[in-house]
Amino acid sequence: MSENHRSGKLVGLIGAAGVKEAFHKKVRQRRLGVALVTFGISFLGLWLMIDIVGARGWTPLEVLEIGLFGVLFTNLAFGFTQAFLGFLVLAEGHEPLKITNTLDETTPLASTAVVMPVYNEDAETVFGNVRALYESIQQRHELDSYDFYILSDSTDPAKAIEEELAWSDICRQTNGFGKIHYRRRKLPVNRKSGNIADFCRRWGHRHRYMVVLDADSLMTGAAVSSLVRLMETNPRAGIIQTMPRLAKTETLFGRIQQFASRVYSPIFAAGLNFWQQGAGNYWGHNAIIRVSPFLASCALPGLPGREPLGGRILSHDFVEAALMRNAGWEVWFAYDLDGSYEGLPPNLTEYVKRDRRWCQGNLQHMWFLLAQNIQPISRIHLVQGILAYASAPLLVLFVLFGGLQAGIDRLQEKVGTFSAASAGVLLLMTVILLFGPKVLSLLHLFARPKEIASFGGPVRVLLSAVLETLFSILTAPVLVWFHTRFVLRNIGGQTVLWHTQTRDGGAGPRWIEIVREYWPLPIAGVGLGALAWWIAPSYLAWLSPMLIGLLLAIPVAKLSARTDLFRNLFLTPEELQPPQELSARFQLQLRDGDQFVHAVLDPFYNAVHVALQRSREAGSPAVDGYVASLATRLFKEGPECLTSQQKRALLADGETLAFMHNLIWKTPSEMMNPAWALALAQYRSSFRRNRSKPEAPQASLTKTHSAAA
Amino acid sequence: MAISPEYIALLRIGIGSSPEWKEAWERINDYLDALRTPDTIDRELILLSSFERAIVRKRRQPFTPATELAFEEAQKTLDFALRHLIDEGVSEDRRSVEQRVRLYLTENADGNFLGRTDEMSEEVRQALREVRLQAAPNLQVASITARPLEFSSPGKRIISLAEKLSPLGANRIVGWMIGLVILGLLVFGSLYRS
Repeated sequence: MSENHRSGKLVGLIGAAGVKEAFHKKVRQRRLGVALVTFGISFLGLWLMIDIVGARGWTPLEVLEIGLFGVLFTNLAFGFTQAFLGFLVLAEGHEPLKITNTLDETTPLASTAVVMPVYNEDAETVFGNVRALYESIQQRHELDSYDFYILSDSTDPAKAIEEELAWSDICRQTNGFGKIHYRRRKLPVNRKSGNIADFCRRWGHRHRYMVVLDADSLMTGAAVSSLVRLMETNPRAGIIQTMPRLAKTETLFGRIQQFASRVYSPIFAAGLNFWQQGAGNYWGHNAIIRVSPFLASCALPGLPGREPLGGRILSHDFVEAALMRNAGWEVWFAYDLDGSYEGLPPNLTEYVKRDRRWCQGNLQHMWFLLAQNIQPISRIHLVQGILAYASAPLLVLFVLFGGLQAGIDRLQEKVGTFSAASAGVLLLMTVILLFGPKVLSLLHLFARPKEIASFGGPVRVLLSAVLETLFSILTAPVLVWFHTRFVLRNIGGQTVLWHTQTRDGGAGPRWIEIVREYWPLPIAGVGLGALAWWIAPSYLAWLSPMLIGLLLAIPVAKLSARTDLFRNLFLTPEELQPPQELSARFQLQLRDGDQFVHAVLDPFYNAVHVALQRSREAGSPAVDGYVASLATRLFKEGPECLTSQQKRALLADGETLAFMHNLIWKTPSEMMNPAWALALAQYRSSFRRNRSKPEAPQASLTKTHSAAA
Repeated sequence: MAISPEYIALLRIGIGSSPEWKEAWERINDYLDALRTPDTIDRELILLSSFERAIVRKRRQPFTPATELAFEEAQKTLDFALRHLIDEGVSEDRRSVEQRVRLYLTENADGNFLGRTDEMSEEVRQALREVRLQAAPNLQVASITARPLEFSSPGKRIISLAEKLSPLGANRIVGWMIGLVILGLLVFGSLYRS
């Protein structure tokens, strides 16, 4: 009997009381081990820090500095411990306690909804990913068990039209009518979580499971079916989260993150599973959820107060996992299940923009730390989520307090005396905690020659790892800066606005846009550098990694969007030999240009949209009058005259849109608004050039005359 | 449908000689292109029969634009050509939409099936008659209701304290001043070591 098979049996037998107790004992031991290692490292670090700072007595600034150091160092130690244990698990070659041990390919499938909430996304990407999964499942002859739902909250009328056509086109191409569904909410109430809740209300009783995907998520049919089978085999599992790999990135920033995630995350993931077991977390996508307990227990409560920290929950995933756990269900992490992918913002600026939303969402989770009945492990997940952003202002305060104290000492001309040995050991410890996981990951990879070949070979991996480390050192101060800003604004009751807009075409934001957002960073770098130099040159040296990152923030942000740099480095197996689902390219028959105009002019766009609208029978006279007035304005003043909201109102009325279609087509050009005449002329010219000309009257006339002669 | 070549020639001369009818001809041709109607004899017949009727109507309605008349007659021709694919119960103003949906669904590399409906099997015709573009399945509603968040007693005390302090943090200037005062006190306190 193989080791894995025995492990599978072990977990499979967890239902039996004795084995269940053994399992819980084992998990308790593991958690105790993680706590001991983490706090052991932390106490050692703290002791060394106290030895360094407290050698000359104490000041309030130093006491606070030590407190902050304790929090930050413990967080760092926890990450390292997970990575180290994950490394050991992977080095040993088997993990008896993981959900995938219970996978049995002969387990029958069950009715499953694949849901993809979207919000003003690129339709080609969304529907391309859905189609890739659809065809992957089709090839496995397992389509009968699945339904696909694209749940749109798009508020942009053009995007909404594009989605409808993309849906009908993909259904037409794959014969997916009745399997691939599309639903758009008129109002995006409660955003993504409200979108999923709305799905549950409408079709919650139709499916036993739902696989939640993001707009940029992609999973293989094999992965999705494995998740369903794991759910069937583990009846106490409420959620199973996969470990999505980053894929399909093109920019330098994206490829560096893709490489880093592919190389470093396996040991972190194995370490995470090592201690959390059935008390795992949910990341909002690339996961399967058992619908019935989700309906019963995971509806999101309102938070006290108002946004940004109160009101509606923005970041729902951690909370849903906590609520699922509260209800007695398990949340597992299938960290070694292949075939789960996700995208990434293409450059540093877009990444920071995303962090702005996530930061606000994660900070809201502090309410759950004050709530009753939240399980301890769920609290740890919530704290980790909060610290992902809150650690930035804590780090800033730590540096600030240290700098202020050093400045005071400099003014008082007190010479600092501290234990050099303690400082050396602490520095070494910090370096190990920061970079140790990377080294362990590389060791893990280098121990597998076949695997390292799939990354382009050892030399490329090493070079990539060195450059990735440099890049992460440069970008870390930028992230600390923005995270601090986001946290402070949120605590002060404000949401952070962002003015930059990334241009299409992969070039990323322009210099001027980057300078507008990043200009304070190099100025802060120069100021801090001068201050540090005044305090002591050695202090400047200590701060230099942070200062270099601040000084170079603008060029680094610009370079991060480049697609032509280091194409031979940062290679991943998914880039070199992408699976079929990642490499598939699907062509949708979508027209370029303003999709709203197409909804009026194009006979097919118009017909599909109108056919998907509810009949206006129940409309009130006031609404009818409003829509009629919009239609009149649209015809008289052209397509640009309506606001986005007015366009949405008009689009919701199928009959009026069908009427507009006929009206535009049958009105002579000189009798309509020039903007419509131009739009119609452009639309007509888009396919006219391909037309042969038997019907051109003048040509036919000449031909007829010749024949008569 | 038998139309003599002489008649067609005369009709074309008539259309080609008037700018108004020429524009109408171009417009209807473009519309058929937008419907991906292939270049076949059936397309020619749709055009000619539509224009024939439109020209007759123009004599009775001289102030109605030729484009409008031609478009309406072309719609009627399409309606006639696809009549056996649309349920009779479908309202007049919805028929055009339903026709276009069917043309869209059956469109292939050769264009739409206008003029080729005779080649369709009865099974396909039946399917097309019954087709209804439905983006989402029928509802199977469920209830999902949130339970209010219950706070622990230390949690309640923290919230109560935060509520009392929140006016201080709500104002940016006051918030900054408080922060700077705290920092100042810390610096002052740190001038002397214990």
